[in-house]
Amino acid sequence: MEHIGAGLAALGVFGPGIGIGILAGMSAQAIGRNPDAAGQIRGIAIILAAFAEGLGVLAIVVGLLAIFIKG
Amino acid sequence: MSSDQVATDEVAGAPDAAPAPEPKPGRRIAPRWLILVALVIVLDVIAFVAFPQVSKTGEAECAFPACFIENSLEFPAPHPVLDLAPSSPVDPAALVTFHPSISNTLLTMWIVMAIVLTGAILMVRGSKLIPGRGQNLIETVYEFLSDFGVGIAGPAARPYIPIFAAAFLLILFDNWIGLVPPVGKIDLLRAPSSDVNITIGMALVSFVIFHVEGIRHLGLGGYLGKFFPIYEFRNGIGAGVIALFVGLIELMLEFVKPVTLSMRLFGNIYGGEVALGVMTTLTVSFIPVALLGLELMLNAIQALIFSVLTLMFIVLAIESHHEEEGQVAEEALDAIDGKEPSGLQPAH
Repeated sequence: MEHIGAGLAALGVFGPGIGIGILAGMSAQAIGRNPDAAGQIRGIAIILAAFAEGLGVLAIVVGLLAIFIKG
Repeated sequence: MSSDQVATDEVAGAPDAAPAPEPKPGRRIAPRWLILVALVIVLDVIAFVAFPQVSKTGEAECAFPACFIENSLEFPAPHPVLDLAPSSPVDPAALVTFHPSISNTLLTMWIVMAIVLTGAILMVRGSKLIPGRGQNLIETVYEFLSDFGVGIAGPAARPYIPIFAAAFLLILFDNWIGLVPPVGKIDLLRAPSSDVNITIGMALVSFVIFHVEGIRHLGLGGYLGKFFPIYEFRNGIGAGVIALFVGLIELMLEFVKPVTLSMRLFGNIYGGEVALGVMTTLTVSFIPVALLGLELMLNAIQALIFSVLTLMFIVLAIESHHEEEGQVAEEALDAIDGKEPSGLQPAH
């Protein structure tokens, strides 16, 4: 049962994956449109990707807790 | 479907059409690499035969995938090196426990701190106008971090670059030490940021820093005014209630910040270690090298993100919320200058 729960929790990685994909595509587009601002855009993209990725990591943590902490 | 078929056909047909590749000048290295790979595989097989896996749960034989993976995983809770309260046992099923002990992650963190501190002191000791090798290295690192931090958080972040750089270096080596082989595989040593206690501690430190800096810059009244904007009632009851509600949400977000900071770092590093452990048990030992390279990069990015977010939270805390009060004259002038032509400025 815990393993099913962990698998379901891991599904939460879908959303951040899509989000980071959109973000990466958009920032690549922005750099292509405005190469002078590449450094700035890259920095912002890394930070925002971290925000999106944090949610995915929360899902992973919930899954790990479901496996390891057997109440 | 048909377009896929055409595409793969084209790819498959491409080497035939292309002229035969000329032998590259770097070809002579190849035997050396082959010998290295062969050596690694032989070492792997010897290790596999000489040190058989023993099941932790006490079963007779160790079945290939499950028991091997079980052996290479580490439990989220750290192993205590020195138990400060041996009389009180820990409930293993509990999610949150309080048990004072010096854990292996804390010990590793002290070792990392000692290494980073002595390295930094040795490099900057006897600084000269014409820098030597060590001073050059540390100046390059510091300049890169300074440019990055100021570029992202703005010129207001300049006084806080030392905090940012120190946090970055400590967390970077905390993360990287988990990739050095004995660390994480023996009970005494383990990567500090793969333990949620350590990352919560770091996040609390940054929480205290940005609140103290906010109070120091805006005063206690000004800082509390960010979260309880009572002065908005001057603009009418409706505006006041809305502002109060927004302030309450901001107050709640303040307490979410350390949680996400700590969980992001812990989840990334621990998840990375689990993935690395699983890959190492399931495959021959040189295949996870690619994953190791990926982890090297991801760990650096996580360290950067933790420290940049700390820096940004400090900058957010010290800037005043509203234009009427507590605004530095320069900032007001900048705002006036920037406001008029902002739509007309050319993109650069």
